[in-house]
Amino acid sequence: MTRFILQRALWGLLVVMSVVTLVFFLIFVAGDPAVTILGPQARAEQIADFKSKKGLDQPVSKQFLSYLGILPCVRKDSPKYEREDGSRGFCGVLQGDLGESYSHHESVADVIGHRLPRTLLLAALAILFELLIGLSAGIFAALRRNRWADTTIMFATFVGISLPTYVTGPIALLLFAFLLGWFPFGGYGVHALDHIYHAILPSLILAVAGAATYARVMRGELIETLRHDHVRTAKAKGMPPTRVVVRHAIRNALLPVVTLIGLSLPFLVGGAIITEKIFAWPGLGLLTIESINSLDAPVIMAVVLMFGVAVQLGNLLADIAVAALDPRIRLG
Amino acid sequence: MRSTPKTERFVVRAVGGAVLLSAIALLIGWVVASFPKAPIGPRYVGAGNETPRAGGTFVFAAGSNIHTLDPHFAYDTLSTAACRLLYDGLLDYDYDGEMIPSLAAELPTVSADGTIFRFVLRDGIKFHNGREITAEDISWSLHRLLSNRIGSPGYPFFKSILGAPAYHAGEAEHIEGIVVIDQKTLEFRLAEADQTFLNALAMPFAYPIAREHVEALEQAEGIDAVGRQPIGAGPFAFLRWERGVQVELERFDDYWAPAARPDRMVFLENISGDVASARFRNGDLDIIYRPSKVNRLFLRSAEAWAPYRSESPSPSVFALGLNCELPPFDNVHVRRAVAFALDRSKMEKLNPGEVIAATQVLPPMLAPHDPKLPTRQTFDLDRAKEEMRLAGYPNGIEEPVTVWVRGEGDVRLAQLFQQELKAIGIEIELKQVTFATYLRETGKPRVAQAAFTGWHQDFPDPSNFMDILFHSRSIHPQNSENRSFYRNAELDDILDRARPETDRDERLALYAKANAILAEEAPWAFLFYPVDMFAWQPYVKGFRPHPVWLNEYRHVWLDLPRKRVSQSIYEEEAQP
Repeated sequence: MTRFILQRALWGLLVVMSVVTLVFFLIFVAGDPAVTILGPQARAEQIADFKSKKGLDQPVSKQFLSYLGILPCVRKDSPKYEREDGSRGFCGVLQGDLGESYSHHESVADVIGHRLPRTLLLAALAILFELLIGLSAGIFAALRRNRWADTTIMFATFVGISLPTYVTGPIALLLFAFLLGWFPFGGYGVHALDHIYHAILPSLILAVAGAATYARVMRGELIETLRHDHVRTAKAKGMPPTRVVVRHAIRNALLPVVTLIGLSLPFLVGGAIITEKIFAWPGLGLLTIESINSLDAPVIMAVVLMFGVAVQLGNLLADIAVAALDPRIRLG
Repeated sequence: MRSTPKTERFVVRAVGGAVLLSAIALLIGWVVASFPKAPIGPRYVGAGNETPRAGGTFVFAAGSNIHTLDPHFAYDTLSTAACRLLYDGLLDYDYDGEMIPSLAAELPTVSADGTIFRFVLRDGIKFHNGREITAEDISWSLHRLLSNRIGSPGYPFFKSILGAPAYHAGEAEHIEGIVVIDQKTLEFRLAEADQTFLNALAMPFAYPIAREHVEALEQAEGIDAVGRQPIGAGPFAFLRWERGVQVELERFDDYWAPAARPDRMVFLENISGDVASARFRNGDLDIIYRPSKVNRLFLRSAEAWAPYRSESPSPSVFALGLNCELPPFDNVHVRRAVAFALDRSKMEKLNPGEVIAATQVLPPMLAPHDPKLPTRQTFDLDRAKEEMRLAGYPNGIEEPVTVWVRGEGDVRLAQLFQQELKAIGIEIELKQVTFATYLRETGKPRVAQAAFTGWHQDFPDPSNFMDILFHSRSIHPQNSENRSFYRNAELDDILDRARPETDRDERLALYAKANAILAEEAPWAFLFYPVDMFAWQPYVKGFRPHPVWLNEYRHVWLDLPRKRVSQSIYEEEAQP
């Protein structure tokens, strides 16, 4: 088990490293951040000054190793650039320093610190809706197997899985915000309750595919479980049907759903990019798009790093969880 | 014939199918019929308070990024709009466009020769950090503005202060012409009389900013930092700014005048026109400025919005600039021919309500704009052809003319006028460049033959248009503001006499003369004055468009709690 975890962790690290390396060099192919940030009217000396402050005048390989924290700092405006004894400090990922955003004029950690809670709010609400809608629809369909209610729900889940958020999002905005006026037309709101009110529509859209998946899985599992001996025994001993379903069947059928939730977590954060863009929700997803548009390299790198680690961690945890829940699965 | 079980089953199925199909058709019909309509009127109305009440959050939006909140750098409309809420200056304009004292107790006393202005400050004026503003603060802020160290774009407006050029060049420690007499009294001495000096002082560039705060910030984080967390003396204090997302301000209760009403102001950034329009009609935005085209047409025609919208010409002018140094436009007759050839009413038809055909450089609200000017800038094909004949091109010009365009809007304009210029024998070729290239290249002599151009006023004075755009002094080897390179000694002389003239009527008469010369000489073929549109929610009170400040939201109040209007009302109103 330990060996398996170690192996997987190393493999994950390798994947994250390759992604980070690839993106770092891609940014340099994409264009010159100094020109993009300072605008077309910037003077040559302004651009030179910016490049020297951010270390962009150094060779790319040197910048990359410095970004990782293997070579000393190249960003002259970093407080860690020079140590008190005059030697050069380190300011890379290994030192826990993600750098300073070019366009936000604050540390990348602060920028992400602002945005992350909003994305988490969206993700939390989305999981809530996924479970609420998905599980109840799945259970209902399983109990009415092969009747019209089941067929309708299964058709709906099929549509739900097939429709991407860039189709459902604008339709929801048009219908529920613009035409019916039940929800705000995107945006983030101005105070705590307002934030939640603004989050409902985007999180519902974010939840559509997940809810549909859970409904199908739940239906299948529940139908399977209802055939098991222990359910038949419970029925035979005269237990009321509701109790049989709730106590004996649903509990068992929930197991695979739990695994699915674990696996979906990183994707919920990553998948919010499109939803956040459609609903103008200023979270991590929108930050990703903004920073790509403005070639804000430190932010792009940090977001890529975060998503990479989150996906690897999620997969690892899911593997471990499956092994822990089902003793028949042996790892290693 | 006896029915067999087979035919019976067929009949049952057929009938069942027909019933099912019609049920589905009915269902679809019902859904279509009861499908919600787009809101044709406001979705919310006010609570009905008669007297202004405090409280609430006022939300408005702009299509792009706010550049800075440092008034010394605020030279774009969005930064100016934000600075108008955060700062106050010595002078301001009322809703008639007349100059009024703001931080100054009254308008300054002026010496007989018009070179010395003495200001006395109001009592009880404070920065947002609670410190009282003194004459020293006004002086210090202007020194910051005019120092070469920060490189503000505002410097040229204050060149007339005695010693300002020397200070800007780093040759003097202080500006000789800014004299602090005592805590409350301040004197400005000019090198020569200049009637636009007070207009310059009313620009956001001259708004005072708290010295101790600025110095600490500049020391710790650099000059840019001031624009990210400012301390001013305006009706609202800075709360937070998430760059690219929104600026939040809170009411400043220690304000010298009656405090503003809303608790908070939220200025959203990067909301495109379409999204802003949808949000406005949904009740998410409290006011909208320049809605997208479709929504503008809608808001203009919807009866229910009539009491809550305004349209007024913007203090700006758009034109086709003709380079007076390059052929064929070095010939005044060719320039006049172009000015006669363009049918501006086409533009008005294509963009109903968005533009007014221009006949002169001064926009309609700026004296001495003259609607009865014997004009040479309206469509008249015969006179255009006659001018071409006088120019010596009775059969047109062989070489096509290159017209510089900045973007899609210019291209559409050019396409509109291509045929008309062809009718008088001028072929045009478009040269599309980025805005930066456009600014750089059209500012150099003898580069661009013609270019779409325009001007938005910095302050309401005719000199701001004419001196900058057409005085030969504005021609430079680089960065000329006189981009048509028009030189006219007579015009220069009139402008030089008008600028310092203290007699208001005499001054306006001189500018009227200059205005007529420019229409006649046609260094620009004037195209249109844009019309600004605002629409606001019924519960937003106290807003009206300001003749000088584009987005002036200092005096709004919110009639809360707002009430939802039921959908049925839209439908009733939709009936003819």
